[in-house]
Amino acid sequence: MKLKMRYLYMEVHKTLRLLPRMLLQAILLMAVIGILALCGVKSMEKEPLAVGVDVAIVLEEDNALTQMAVGFVESMESVSEFCSFRQVSEKEGFALLEQGEVAALILLPEQLVEGIVNGQNPTVEIYFPRQAGLEALLFRELTDAGAGLLNVAQAEIYSAGDTAAAYGLTEQLSAMEMEIDSYNLAFALDRLALYEREQLSVTGQMNLWQYFAASAAVLFVLLSGMALYPVMQPEPLVFRRQLARQGIGFLWQDFCQWLCGLLGVGLISLLLAAAMGTVLAVWGRSGLELQLFQSGGGAGDRWAAVLLSALGILLVSTFIYWLYSLADSRISGILLLFAVSMAMVYCSGGFVPSLLLPETMQRIGGRLPTAWLIQAAGGIFAGYGAGTVRECAAGMCAYTILLGGCAWLCRRRDR
Amino acid sequence: MILVQGITSAYGRKPVLKGVSFTAERGECVGIVGANGCGKSTLLSILAGTLKPLSGQVRYDGQTAWSGQSPRRAGKETPEGEARSSCVRAAEKKCGGRMYCGKEVIRKMTGYVPQENPLIPELTVYDNLRLWYPDSKTLKQELEQGALHLLGIQEYASCRADKLSGGMKKRVSMGIALSGQPPILLLDEPSAALDLICKEDIRSYLKDYLQREGTVVITTHEESELELCDKLYVMKDGKLRQIDRALRGAGLVQML
Repeated sequence: MKLKMRYLYMEVHKTLRLLPRMLLQAILLMAVIGILALCGVKSMEKEPLAVGVDVAIVLEEDNALTQMAVGFVESMESVSEFCSFRQVSEKEGFALLEQGEVAALILLPEQLVEGIVNGQNPTVEIYFPRQAGLEALLFRELTDAGAGLLNVAQAEIYSAGDTAAAYGLTEQLSAMEMEIDSYNLAFALDRLALYEREQLSVTGQMNLWQYFAASAAVLFVLLSGMALYPVMQPEPLVFRRQLARQGIGFLWQDFCQWLCGLLGVGLISLLLAAAMGTVLAVWGRSGLELQLFQSGGGAGDRWAAVLLSALGILLVSTFIYWLYSLADSRISGILLLFAVSMAMVYCSGGFVPSLLLPETMQRIGGRLPTAWLIQAAGGIFAGYGAGTVRECAAGMCAYTILLGGCAWLCRRRDR
Repeated sequence: MILVQGITSAYGRKPVLKGVSFTAERGECVGIVGANGCGKSTLLSILAGTLKPLSGQVRYDGQTAWSGQSPRRAGKETPEGEARSSCVRAAEKKCGGRMYCGKEVIRKMTGYVPQENPLIPELTVYDNLRLWYPDSKTLKQELEQGALHLLGIQEYASCRADKLSGGMKKRVSMGIALSGQPPILLLDEPSAALDLICKEDIRSYLKDYLQREGTVVITTHEESELELCDKLYVMKDGKLRQIDRALRGAGLVQML
């Protein structure tokens, strides 16, 4: 046992001796991956889609009140963001609609405002093209919302009038109408409530910064394994046999090497965490907003992050250990680790969100260990959804056991 | 001191050793010569306990290191002239009639210097030696006045192993083999690719070791090392044949 512990001590000693070099290589790698991740964020961070909806309006008469009403509607914030109105003749309007140059055509009847005031409520006709584009759909949504609001307001006013007449409260009717108006205006001014909002994101619940930070962290930890080759490489057979002869069995030798690899990956991960903390602190002091930790943060999430980080480090070190067990030489080991890590991170949506990848690749990528790792790393920034922690932990444990078994078989083959 | 009887070994279906036998007494040096790939290293690996023979017996100072036959061979062939003691038979029975290995006997009795040096390149010579020596006090004593001192290792004990020359590495390997102060030293081509000074240093150390009643089994292609040998064997077609220890040059080549 004393000899076994001495061997473990020597392996740890070797790892610590190599540590400065490993950390230096890790820092260089971090700089490269950091730049790549930043480029990724910048390339995907585009201005929101600007949609300009051209709407043609036909005024049946040159009525000052109608002109004023149109001007008022046109200047409303919710309308002016999307729409620009052009006054045309009816013939010209239909021609434009036919050619697809306008998203809608509005025919305003004569005496529109007066009709509304005296209760006649003349009909406003709105024409949409048969094959509606995005602009037309948006305008239809806007129109439906406005019509809905008007319907409700009208129903309120009529019901207030009927109620007042039924109970002999006609004197109070004007006060009731004022109350209804103020209520409707308050509702109408909160325009966002008029629309059904649905946010779609290829990066799921993470924002772009969180998404690329998680992917870059996973890629960095995987690739930093390249610096761990001297620690995890299979020792020459003659050395292994010499150790076995002295009573240090092959299994113990393998375990010690894996343990040292785990130590290396753990220290590199700590370096990464420290670097991220420093960047955030400096960024925060300079007043720039880095949207990394925006929705995570509960105590449960913190514990989940610690647990999943530990499991992630276990998985990564076992994965690297397995690849080095497969390879015959230093060069082939490093190349194998680089190629397999890049391919796995790509398939799991680490470079381009997986929703944008072909379906087969999405299916394969979702089952790779990197998928769990990215999910776990993303949770550190964005928080974990219900069931995610259990799912991630189970996935990572399963892969750790599987890869550990494969590594053991590979090393056994070489004895 | 060393009794080797009917050792057989194979790589897959290819037989390498076909019943190798020899003996060596205390203070004797046994030299084994042979063409490349004839099985010299395999034999030494078996004697050192890093490879398992298919059948045969190895005894050090009367204690069993290897005995019996592996299930692969059981029922096919019986090792010639095998004399089993009751203790060995009991051990074989315990192992289910398989090859019995006296690991502790091998570990205590032999020091093994393989062709490749069993060093951790990233560590210093001192750290490498520290792995094999029981405690740092013994190691320091050995460096100051023991075998390691005789090998001249103390001069570069603080150097990293991967910065050493081939000769220096070989001396460290010998130092490692001598860590348990074994009475038997097994050397697999110790002078291969070394300079003349280093060869001479190793030779003079071996002389000293033999004078102290140590037993040496050495495989070599060096005529200068053959001078040390009291018995000389040629390995050919998986068999060992004793030859005249004075045989050199063309006569020796003809035997190979």
